[in-house]
Amino acid sequence: MADRIVLCLGTKKGLFVAEAAKSRGRFELRGPFGPGVAVYSALVDRRRSPRIYASSCNAFFGMKVLVSTDLGKKFKETKSAPAFPKKDGRAVLNIWSLTPGSDSKDLWCGVEPASLFRSTDGGNSWEMVPGISNHKHAKEWQPGAGGLCMHTILNDGKRLHLGISTGGHYISEDGGQTFQAANNGIGAGFVPDPYPEFGQCVHKIVGHPDAPGRFYIQNHGGWPDRPGIGVLRSDDHGHTWYSIADGLPSDFGFPIVVHPHDPDTVYVVPLEPMTRTCPEGKPAVWRSTSGGGKWKKLTTGFPKKESYFTVLRDALDIDELKSPALYMGTTTGQLWIGRDGGEKWECLFESLPPINCVKVAVA
Amino acid sequence: MAIMIQIPSALRAECGGVSELPTSAATVRKALDQLEETHPALYRSVCDDTGAVRRHVNVFVNDVCLDRRGGLGQKLEPGDVLTIMPAVSGG
Repeated sequence: MADRIVLCLGTKKGLFVAEAAKSRGRFELRGPFGPGVAVYSALVDRRRSPRIYASSCNAFFGMKVLVSTDLGKKFKETKSAPAFPKKDGRAVLNIWSLTPGSDSKDLWCGVEPASLFRSTDGGNSWEMVPGISNHKHAKEWQPGAGGLCMHTILNDGKRLHLGISTGGHYISEDGGQTFQAANNGIGAGFVPDPYPEFGQCVHKIVGHPDAPGRFYIQNHGGWPDRPGIGVLRSDDHGHTWYSIADGLPSDFGFPIVVHPHDPDTVYVVPLEPMTRTCPEGKPAVWRSTSGGGKWKKLTTGFPKKESYFTVLRDALDIDELKSPALYMGTTTGQLWIGRDGGEKWECLFESLPPINCVKVAVA
Repeated sequence: MAIMIQIPSALRAECGGVSELPTSAATVRKALDQLEETHPALYRSVCDDTGAVRRHVNVFVNDVCLDRRGGLGQKLEPGDVLTIMPAVSGG
């Protein structure tokens, strides 16, 4: 019976797991697992008996994928991690995304340098997906500050959407065999062409099962000469995009999250583009309940000043309870919970290592 | 006399907990290639996807640290000790 909130916190110094009853009273913290090693992606996989997967990107000894079959009490390494064929010439530098595939043991994995891998046995063996990893555009993609990463993998029926920084948004409409760039309306502020075919610095893409074809992007905005390109929406499976940034204090940010029960409700964390911290040192999450039409600032419980949080692309998530809570990790090690859909914020953990990713599930 | 590969404690879980492994390989590269066959998880912790020794791993023959670019071709002699060590790094 799924009766526990399980919270995976990927940090610079390993993976932590926090667990609580559905009342979300006291969260018990375990870890770090993979101690001392940065974790950029985690997945609570509930397709069979729950499993937690996490990347463990060891600067000394390379990439590992950790797996737990007891809700994060113990972890072990899978039999192998994604690796390029030896003759390819590339080496995996980081694991940025772990996403369920089509059947119960099928996993997708996005890595740096931007490439896609697939496992059909629960993460014990991996094969590179050539349709995107060897795409004709791949040699022209450039690394952003976080590296050249494939950070988003979204299932959309038979379609597969990928987010690459900096590569942009790519779609497969044949189950991952071939991919096309789909960046019509996604801007870039760092190349002469404001709307290139590809090469955008997409930060995160989200969708919702109840609104097929609709997606939201937090793109790399914050460009004074090209305003409004940072927060976008598509209603046609990602083929065209339009701005929904009007009303936000900044269109720069990293994460974007959709309400589990309402595809019109979307959350972003606007950051000041130069410092990549909360504008004026005043933390706020912004929510739209109209699919990006209007935005409301949510600040109750946050410090009112002198708090320069940075929230990375995978460090905001939302649980699936009737009145969902958001969970937000900062690079200064705080883990915040936003109860009642973000109306009331409270710091659950004050002094963790810098937080790269936050993933929550009821399991 | 055998050539021994010394394994750092951080990697012994990848080779059944032993602290050293024997090899008869003629060069350092061949010793690593043998590891890929006999202890693939240990090999992947030492070498990246391309076969290069990882940036933050050092390989010594006796007391001499190898130059990654050319040193892997260094010949091994009976009695040599090939030591795998994590480099000085952190943050």
